[in-house]
Amino acid sequence: MADIVTITIDGQDFQVPAGTNLVDAAKMLGTDIPVFCYHPKMEPVGMCRMCLVELGSISVNRETGEPDLDENGEPVVRWFPKLQTACTQKTYEGMVIRTTTEKVVAGRDDILEFILTSHPLDCPVCDKGGECPLQNLTMAYGPGQSRFVFTDKLNLDKHVPLGELIYLDRERCIQCARCVRFCDELVGDDVLAFHERGRRLQIVTISDPPFDTKFSGNTTDICPVGALTTTDFRFGARPWELDEVPTICPYCPVGCNLSASTRLDRDTGGKKIIKRIMPRQNEEVNEIWICDKGRFGHHHSRSTERILHPMIRKGDELVTVDWATAYAEVAARLKKYGDRTGFVAGPALSNEDLWELRKLTRLVGEQRQRGLWPATMSGIEAIAQAGAGVGTRVQDMGPGGAILVIASDFEEEAPIWWLQVKQAADRGVKVVVANARGTKLDKYAAATMPYAYGDAVAVMNGLAARARSRKKIARSLVESRVDGMDALIDSLKGVKVPHPEAADLLLDADDLLIFAGGEGLTLAQHGELMQAAANLLILTAHVGRPNNGLVAVWPGANVQGAMDMGFSAETTAALLDDPPPMWFIAEADPAGEDVRAAEVIANAECVVVTSLFMTETAQQADIILPGQSFAERDGTFTNGMRRVQRFYTAQGPIGDSLPDWKIFAHIGRQMGGDQPRISTGLVMREITEKVFRYADMGYPNLARVEKQFPDVGGDDLYYGGTAYTNTGGLGVQWKTNAEHEQHRLTVRPVNVDSFAADGLQLIPVRVLYDRGMWFRVSDVMDQRVPAPYVELNEADAAGLGIADGEQIAVVLGERTVEVRARVNGKTPAGYALLPMRLSDAPTLTVPAAGVVQKIEE
Amino acid sequence: MTHILLRDLDIPDIWQFDTYVANGGYEGLKKAVQEHSPQEVIQIVLESNLRGRGGAGFPAGRKWSFIPQDAPIKYVTVNADESEPGTFKDRQLLEKNPHQVIEGAMIAAYAIQAAGVYIYCRGEFWDLAHALEERIEEARQANLVGENVLGSGWTCDVYVHLGAGAYICGEESALLNSLQGLLGQPRVRPPFPAQIGGGLYYQPTVVNNVETLANVPWILVNGADEYKKIGTPQSPGPKIFCMSGHVAKPGNYELPLGITFRELIFEHAGGIRDGKELKAILPSGASGPVLVATDEVLDTPLTYEDVAALGSTLGSASIILMDEDTDMVWAAAKMTHFFKHESCGKCTPCREGTYWLDRIYERLLRGEGTQHDLDMLHVVPKQMAPVTLCALGEFAANPVLSTVTQFPEEYERYIQRSDAPHPEMADAMSTVTRGTTGEVPEAVAEGGA
Amino acid sequence: MLADKYADRIEEIFAKYPDKRSGIMDLLYLAQEEYGWLSEDALREVAALCDVDPTQAQSIAGFYTMFSEKPKGKYWLQVCTDLPCALRGADQFYRELCEYLGVEDGGTTGDGLFTVEQVMCLAACDRAPMLQCNFHYYENLDMETIKALIEQWRARALEEVPEPGE
Repeated sequence: MADIVTITIDGQDFQVPAGTNLVDAAKMLGTDIPVFCYHPKMEPVGMCRMCLVELGSISVNRETGEPDLDENGEPVVRWFPKLQTACTQKTYEGMVIRTTTEKVVAGRDDILEFILTSHPLDCPVCDKGGECPLQNLTMAYGPGQSRFVFTDKLNLDKHVPLGELIYLDRERCIQCARCVRFCDELVGDDVLAFHERGRRLQIVTISDPPFDTKFSGNTTDICPVGALTTTDFRFGARPWELDEVPTICPYCPVGCNLSASTRLDRDTGGKKIIKRIMPRQNEEVNEIWICDKGRFGHHHSRSTERILHPMIRKGDELVTVDWATAYAEVAARLKKYGDRTGFVAGPALSNEDLWELRKLTRLVGEQRQRGLWPATMSGIEAIAQAGAGVGTRVQDMGPGGAILVIASDFEEEAPIWWLQVKQAADRGVKVVVANARGTKLDKYAAATMPYAYGDAVAVMNGLAARARSRKKIARSLVESRVDGMDALIDSLKGVKVPHPEAADLLLDADDLLIFAGGEGLTLAQHGELMQAAANLLILTAHVGRPNNGLVAVWPGANVQGAMDMGFSAETTAALLDDPPPMWFIAEADPAGEDVRAAEVIANAECVVVTSLFMTETAQQADIILPGQSFAERDGTFTNGMRRVQRFYTAQGPIGDSLPDWKIFAHIGRQMGGDQPRISTGLVMREITEKVFRYADMGYPNLARVEKQFPDVGGDDLYYGGTAYTNTGGLGVQWKTNAEHEQHRLTVRPVNVDSFAADGLQLIPVRVLYDRGMWFRVSDVMDQRVPAPYVELNEADAAGLGIADGEQIAVVLGERTVEVRARVNGKTPAGYALLPMRLSDAPTLTVPAAGVVQKIEE
Repeated sequence: MTHILLRDLDIPDIWQFDTYVANGGYEGLKKAVQEHSPQEVIQIVLESNLRGRGGAGFPAGRKWSFIPQDAPIKYVTVNADESEPGTFKDRQLLEKNPHQVIEGAMIAAYAIQAAGVYIYCRGEFWDLAHALEERIEEARQANLVGENVLGSGWTCDVYVHLGAGAYICGEESALLNSLQGLLGQPRVRPPFPAQIGGGLYYQPTVVNNVETLANVPWILVNGADEYKKIGTPQSPGPKIFCMSGHVAKPGNYELPLGITFRELIFEHAGGIRDGKELKAILPSGASGPVLVATDEVLDTPLTYEDVAALGSTLGSASIILMDEDTDMVWAAAKMTHFFKHESCGKCTPCREGTYWLDRIYERLLRGEGTQHDLDMLHVVPKQMAPVTLCALGEFAANPVLSTVTQFPEEYERYIQRSDAPHPEMADAMSTVTRGTTGEVPEAVAEGGA
Repeated sequence: MLADKYADRIEEIFAKYPDKRSGIMDLLYLAQEEYGWLSEDALREVAALCDVDPTQAQSIAGFYTMFSEKPKGKYWLQVCTDLPCALRGADQFYRELCEYLGVEDGGTTGDGLFTVEQVMCLAACDRAPMLQCNFHYYENLDMETIKALIEQWRARALEEVPEPGE
């Protein structure tokens, strides 16, 4: 802990930690110091000079160490003759500042006048108008009338595309460099910079593609003027017309808190729609950042391609029916097939949806085959035991901590976690990356642990073996609460440790957090990887406390919730191995994503789907039920750190669509189940009663908010416009077994077998910008979604006579997919990397042997 | 007299290694390395009270003493980004007496046990910089630079880094950024270059001017006491005075600090060209306030403190003389345009203030100035100077404030006339950044040069 | 490609610094020597060598006046017209030079041989009027001397391009 020092602000004494940024310290103590360039998430640069204060120090007698006193007995303050910038000061004992004197106000007035000399006064047509720090500060400071001759203003370009997502207005820019610093320092994508100098200093980018970062939208939030605007929202609405609705991103396991800015819109016949997505501050989750997928990928909520009505297949035709007919028909089919029905839940159903689906499965029969899509990752037991401790915040971790990221292309799979881990590395956290190929995180890693695809479990097990051999086993925990030790310890004897030095970085750390993905693993292997991670964490007592434990990089926003509600990928795998005649598939597209699932579903007797779009799976369906997107309803998602978070209805429904939980409940009612609940809040109440881990997840708890630092989003003179205030709740994490003293923990030996590598292995990989049905309708992102491709090693490609950029065929059983070959030296030899959900045709979700070949002329 | 710095005036081929050595060259370095501990070297320079010749006059020994001795990596950076209008002394030193600068830098490097020395030459010193690399190589061959210097076990190499045309890189933290391949904009201080986090590659770094270091070998050889016999107690040592403008004999003059303006101008530099009357003096290039050439001024000794007492600064002692015919508004416009052009743009007051002033002067030169413009010339510099990130904003204010207050009638005349007194220059000023007006002929644009 | 053609020089440049990024200015000079000016392609090449985004190379090229992102004449004449030079007639010298070459301030002659610009102080105040031609100093000039030089350059241009630092 930092020393506490006394500082004096405007005559009042305060105790603050030494070394706190003065602007932040003052803000915490209730004094606003105006800023433009300073941002509490970034290093100060002292550029804008707005935060001027009078600064002094209490004069201390060198001999006695006591303050010198004046004739009135007051401490003597030695003042700097000139005003100083607060943002470049750190608190120290005896610091004295004045923030309201005439001198200070005059100094700030002067700066504001300078800034406005070249700022166009186009607030009436500026997107930022109404939530603009410059506008707000102009109300508070400045002469009101400029002494600058208007015609002297420098005219610069006003509509400069920095890529297809962000526009720059060079006249509005006040050169605070927040955008440049965000990209360069925080993200590490040095794709923005200043060009020229002096008054002509301008933001530029010539990266390829332009403004090449997955976080570009954040620059528009932190821009203190209207210089940066998004293509998505530009000229879309005025901020004061917008109604902010708290919501949660439906794409990845981070669970970023979003604010949907909505308006009753002429374009939709006066209905309320989302005009833009903004980050909503949750310092426990995404802080104030979101990725561009979350920001711009909301258009599926009101796409014209959405399914509007329930439909039943009559011969070759799909006939629109009303809901009553649809419910009756589905119920009839479920009764007919009973236990011979396989249920599959998609990765972004809400907990309430899943609960009602679970209830439906119980009405259908005894088998209750509750599958989860995609069927790529498992290990809920490992999470339940050794999941990241409640209160884990990567952003709190320091040089004593270590983070292992294994089997994940982290930025593609969980961008904001990537960002936080990257920043942790910058702060000295030992980040170790283990993967079978290079990823972007490697650059920031303290060490990497490369391995061959198939060997991830062996690598993780090797860490446990190293812990054993280095006597890093936490005796007190192990002896009091852990079962299965002897067998595990036996199994670790003589195990090879692949990267001992990197392993020691992890084992010597005070805190150890593991992010485990599923790249290149079969489902069974993934379960073993998760267990191996749990073994290591339990052995070394890196469980049950913040910043320690295991996080799965799940393939979706609520895979955690689905597992919590009793759905599993193993069930899906079993269903695919031994297909039932009837399939009930909720908001998932197995037939569009996986060749094997496509075969199975094509051969099913009966398929019922809930879906937003006519996916490959929906096209095979006998009954199609239109569900609702995250924007049209209430619910909760459980993120990858087991935080249950609420989202709220942001806009009206599309067509006759209904939320899935309601659909399931109505079908259940036809099957003899309860009367459907009237709200998700009541569904959650039932969950709190039935699912012990969710006992605290009642909606009032989830909606609780508390004061967060930095204090953003208000219309004060500080960081206004940076992100949105959280009014929807910070969410609640469920406790792992390690955190329940009465629970015992179990470890067991793992199976480290690799897969038989015979010929070329196809490895499905995740890319952030894919052609998944929800995302592909956001046209604004089209240029960022690559054409379907496969990555090949140079040697393999040469052997096959394949050139870089060539259109080639990937043979997947009976089917063939055409993709572009990307030939490079980075892809491990013997493997072909095939991104999931990029092709219109189904590909693979788990590794398999495959054939890649030239297309015959 | 015998020169200590401009030794080429006494020994024309002193730039040659053999000549330099034959005339006592590198004896200072040898003495430092073989007879003194690093700490003793710092002590000697401290005692000499050698003050930085780059402008600020900060004691060099104190700068060196700030370097944390236990820091594993330390650097010396030689500021050879000589760009102040009216300054051309470092160029002569580096061209004509380069080994003395290298030797001084190596002594500094030894004193702080630096891992390397970077000589940051302004880009326009293209030929000079390449020649300097050859001189360094000669010193390296003689084991005076590089590995295991003079068998001491201490290794330190010297490199030349070329700037590319930016006055601001003479500011030490901007210089360090530029050396690191970043934009040449000043850094927030603290941390200062001498501190961890503030120097080159964020390691503790001494940044010294070329002329400062050129003093050091002599101090090592002759001792601090001898050095202090030159100049005045507070401003000891020899100083190179760059004489330019309406002076009869422009050029560099090495004289002891404490000589008066009158002696310098009239006894050494030949007085004013064409027998004109001296009207005004810029004692430190464009960045210090203008002094009206009164008898009081002319009889003032050229020391850091005496010139400061006049309300100006000695700076790098780049003395620009202006005769009776000089149009002071035009001169101020020239300097204002310079600072606007060289403002890096990082901080608001300098970026906007220099631009604002430039526009006002442009209007004045066109004969379109107003009373409001004149009023603003009193206001804008005061609004800008105290709150800028680095000193450039203060420099930019000086020529404006010192002329509007001392030559108000000349400004009055400008706003009373309606013809354009300096249309060409006003046109040039409206070219916001150099190089953006001229259209490139198609043949060139297509074919490349 | 610079990387192939100047492998040794590039290695020498990087050897000077603990961080590749520090080599960016030297490499921009190298690219400018090679191509005459810094096109976007040239910037990309330099950026790739230094392991930075091309935007960073553009930024550095744009900040410093000795880098040109536009084609220049074969002879790039930079005349100092700052105060000390101007006190010694640099303004008039510059005007007459422009007139002689038939170009505007900052312009390039129709044959693509000469670009004329005003520059800020070049540390040759005592030898004004002066200029730099492709970064070489020419001092104590008058119109007669510069005309003779220009004619020499014109004649030589038919044979070979002088490179900065040759």
